[in-house]
Amino acid sequence: MSVAAKSGSAGRDRVVQQDGGGKLRWFVLAFCLVWLFFTLFPIYWTFITSFKPPAAVSGGPTYLPFLDFSPTLQAYVDALSGIRGDFLKPFINSTLIGLSATFLSVLVGSMAAYGLVRFDFQVRLASGLIFVVIVFALFFGLPKLGLTRIQGIGIALIVGLAVSLLANRLRLPGPVLGNRDVLFWFVSQRMLPPIVTAFSLYLLYSEAGRAGLVMLDTYWGMTLAYTAFSIPIVVWLMRDFFAALPVEIEEAALIDDVPRLRIFFQIVVPMVMPGLIATSMITLAFVWNEFLFALLLTTSEWQTLPILIAGQNSYRGDEWWSISVAAVVSIAPMIVMAYFLARMMRAGLTIGGIR
Amino acid sequence: MNYKKLLSAGTVLGVACAALMTGEAFACSPDYSGVTLNVGSQTGPFIASALQAAAKTWSEKTCGQVKVIEFPFGELYPKYVTALQAGEKSFDIMTFPPAWTPDLAPFLDEMPAAMRQTDAWKDIHPNYRERLMVWDGKTMTQSIDGDLHNLSYRIDLFEDPKEKEAFKKKYGYELAVPTTWKQYYDIAEFFTRPDKNLYGTVEPFRRGGQQFWFFFTHVASYANSPNDPGAMFFNPDTMDAEVNNPGWVKALEDYIRSSKYSPAGALNYGYGDVNTAFAGGQAAMALGWGDTGVIAGDKKQSKIAGHVGSAMTPASDQIYNAKTKQWDKFDKPVPTPFMAFGGWQAGINANGDHKDAAWNYIEWVSNPENSGKAVVTGGSGVNPYRYSHMQDIKPWETIFTEREAKEYLASQLDSLNAKNVAYDMRLPGYFSYTEILEIELGKALNGDETAQQALDSVAQQWNKLTDDLGRDKQLAAYRNSMGLPAK
Amino acid sequence: MSRNTSETMPAARSGSRKATPRDPIKYVFLWPAFLVVLAVGLFPLVFSFSMSFQSLRLIPPLPPRFVGFDNYWTILQTERFWHVIGTTTLIAVISVMIEYVIGFAITLALHSRVPGERLFRISFLLPMLLAPIAVALVGRMMFHSSVGPLNDLFTHLGLPNLPFLTSSNWAVGAIITIEVWQWTPFVILMLLAGLQSLPVDVYESAALENASRWRQFWDLTFPMMLPISAAVVFIRLIESLKIMDTVFVLTGGGPGIATETLTLFAYQEGFKKFNIGYTSALSFLFLVVVTVFGVVYLSLLRPQLEKRS
Repeated sequence: MSVAAKSGSAGRDRVVQQDGGGKLRWFVLAFCLVWLFFTLFPIYWTFITSFKPPAAVSGGPTYLPFLDFSPTLQAYVDALSGIRGDFLKPFINSTLIGLSATFLSVLVGSMAAYGLVRFDFQVRLASGLIFVVIVFALFFGLPKLGLTRIQGIGIALIVGLAVSLLANRLRLPGPVLGNRDVLFWFVSQRMLPPIVTAFSLYLLYSEAGRAGLVMLDTYWGMTLAYTAFSIPIVVWLMRDFFAALPVEIEEAALIDDVPRLRIFFQIVVPMVMPGLIATSMITLAFVWNEFLFALLLTTSEWQTLPILIAGQNSYRGDEWWSISVAAVVSIAPMIVMAYFLARMMRAGLTIGGIR
Repeated sequence: MNYKKLLSAGTVLGVACAALMTGEAFACSPDYSGVTLNVGSQTGPFIASALQAAAKTWSEKTCGQVKVIEFPFGELYPKYVTALQAGEKSFDIMTFPPAWTPDLAPFLDEMPAAMRQTDAWKDIHPNYRERLMVWDGKTMTQSIDGDLHNLSYRIDLFEDPKEKEAFKKKYGYELAVPTTWKQYYDIAEFFTRPDKNLYGTVEPFRRGGQQFWFFFTHVASYANSPNDPGAMFFNPDTMDAEVNNPGWVKALEDYIRSSKYSPAGALNYGYGDVNTAFAGGQAAMALGWGDTGVIAGDKKQSKIAGHVGSAMTPASDQIYNAKTKQWDKFDKPVPTPFMAFGGWQAGINANGDHKDAAWNYIEWVSNPENSGKAVVTGGSGVNPYRYSHMQDIKPWETIFTEREAKEYLASQLDSLNAKNVAYDMRLPGYFSYTEILEIELGKALNGDETAQQALDSVAQQWNKLTDDLGRDKQLAAYRNSMGLPAK
Repeated sequence: MSRNTSETMPAARSGSRKATPRDPIKYVFLWPAFLVVLAVGLFPLVFSFSMSFQSLRLIPPLPPRFVGFDNYWTILQTERFWHVIGTTTLIAVISVMIEYVIGFAITLALHSRVPGERLFRISFLLPMLLAPIAVALVGRMMFHSSVGPLNDLFTHLGLPNLPFLTSSNWAVGAIITIEVWQWTPFVILMLLAGLQSLPVDVYESAALENASRWRQFWDLTFPMMLPISAAVVFIRLIESLKIMDTVFVLTGGGPGIATETLTLFAYQEGFKKFNIGYTSALSFLFLVVVTVFGVVYLSLLRPQLEKRS
């Protein structure tokens, strides 16, 4: 029964068998419908509110267009005319920065995740401590010699890395940290509340600007910040997908002397397509919707959509229709992206299923 | 887009040069071609649209460029502080509420003396000119907006004969616009009919919803004694917090009472919700800034357009005197309008590269003609602050009926001219003080604490905060903001 | 886990995994990520760490003073801090629990070829794609007492004017509801991807043995999904502990401080009062809490994860 079912579309029948159980199917369908309603109702509400004339909002909730209220495009006209803030530029900025940061972090992060699964890394705790000590010493010491903070941290980073790498080769006493700990280090970067991180990054960028490398309110400044803070998520999520892969295929290729990088890009990546796409979607959603860094690290040129949305939350009159327009404008590209990625996910499954 | 403007600016300049050569004075005056000013503002349309409208005409006049950079209101303060503190020149001009002036003053440029000698200067109402625009004896900012709290009420409900009859029967006096808080609460009680979705009044109570300004409006009537000026918030000699004296406690009890006559869920209302509720016809009265009246009078947004009356906020005939620790009694209620928020100010970055151009632009934005246009434009968010704004009612009839316009302007001007008008406190670390207040107000409104307990707690925390920030410094700043001479 | 795989594949031992000539390539895989994260994250870490031992208020501008552990002591003795930690943890744990249970159920449903599955798949993802600030504003609109549909619905059901946002407990519930609404898609997305990578053979043999559906789920599916579940729940918890926008827009942290979360608290201290030293100490205390929690979580789960074959 299940063998026959296997020939059905990509993996759908792998897990649950389609034998009788009609009552269960109805229950499942009902459950999905309830959740669908719960999920979509607020989005529906936002969508219709963006078309409501103000009186239809302040008088109480109205539900059906043309029946309860007569829809108007006024809110959209106002938005596009720019009197509620420029809508077009943030849109473009969000798209550019979002796509770049997602691409870079997924690329670099998956490679790191794969590395953590297939190879052994050994970091002596002692050399880690040496790194910390050197960095702090130089960071506090160098400014006293007249260097700026950014020069201080830059030198501290380079010297600290060099010394601790060398130290790692020596047989220092103390525990040796392995892959699991490196993974935890990555994820710990996301555990700090973003407040002070954003502020210190602002200071860093500001000093970089004075040292000649302008990073505030630039494409590269934003992309770099987002990439750096998305990589931990990518590494954390992709790791399990890589680990679930059977190793024989790669080993067969290794015996054939195929270089590791080619194995990665041409064999491994297609096999984890579902996970890769899911992770990309999540990363893009995070970057697209991130607020705090965008607020601090941009001024006039590279503001992104979340700042615009927050700006609709006016303190003198809650114009729900304008807020809804901003929300609709922000989610529309995401819907398109979700549609395409969902299709890719199904296609990717088929590829992944071939063995 | 910038290229196009540069091109047109260049063309104008070329023509001007040609004209000059023929001896005609036709040029950018003054000439700021090549200058781009960055103005920080909250996200439009309020204030930002006024800035942009003036920017357009200014560019035509002077060939300079203006870029209005908008941020969510809640994030404006951190944006300014981080930029100024890091020495960034991201903003040439910053617009902000006067409450932030003490914190930003070290970074601002003083207004050039020439600007204070024009006719337009005298047109600015002294409450703004001599008080809100001044810090530490120097004029540091220019008002581009006016703000005070007044009362809005439903003309149709107040003049309905059936309502008047029922009211007289129940309370023994004529239903009229309240001049005292007692009348205010009688009327609120009378009109609170939850089953008909009508309530007596509507005020904001939500933390972060600007509620404390409304609380201060109540406080002013009971704690701003004309016999002890400047003692509303703190003792002007020792900087001890006055927030738990009997005047404040009475005000808090009133404020809690307002929540009982406000629409259901009002405990979560911010000021925006107040406007929505009043314009939606849910309340017979509302306290608020001028925007409440303007939004409620707007046919496009409001269900009660045409029935919006305005008046000064109610008052009391007994005001607590902190010095004598007695209630001062007066023959008549003493109007004590509160200049809540104080109206957006524009300040110039002392570190900026184009200070002359910046002051010129700000003068242009706030001149009688341009600001006069802005105050009658619904979406501009600019409320009156010049005599000229409040004297001619013709422009106002584009948004109000004649009666609405008359009452609105009268309430604004009378409030500004009231002898006992109360000013908002302006202190370094303003936000820290108000956060403490908001948290305790929430507890009192929720019934977790009595009014006295809540305010005692506020007083204790405020005094500690004052010590943390430096009592002498805070005292000097407070006396400054209350218009008292330095000690 | 990679160690397990190699142990069950003795033939591969003689192959490539630990051959020395191959080792250098591992650096190519790891170092780009490592460098980028380190380079951008180092200054914030060092700066905030050093600030946490100083008293630095930007407003009014006072020069920084070294105060040692004062900031930390002050925070640990502030009742507000502990209250805030409690609220944040409560919201995070309950939301993630609900997200996981519902998310897994939906994932199974989607995987079982329920009719309309394509529509469901895309629609279920939508909430996650909205900016948190937009979700917060939409949430405020939904729960609003006069313009919102929820109040309308409950009034019709005979329960008028429920204190969704004005009573402490209800407000926490409202926030949890919004969190669940927005982030269950995340769980669904990841679990679905994980479910689709499961091998078919074990199910075939189970089917041949006529194992019941429930047995299949509990003995096969759930244990095999445990690694990805653990990873998803962990990331959701970490992110959920940083919730701010929803609370800020819905209640401002009120009534009083009943719904104030840790990031909101840090935000007020750091960006409204510019009490940088205090906020840095707060952030590090938070980091310690989360790290301790993470270590405990992972070590509890590790035996479970290693148990599976």
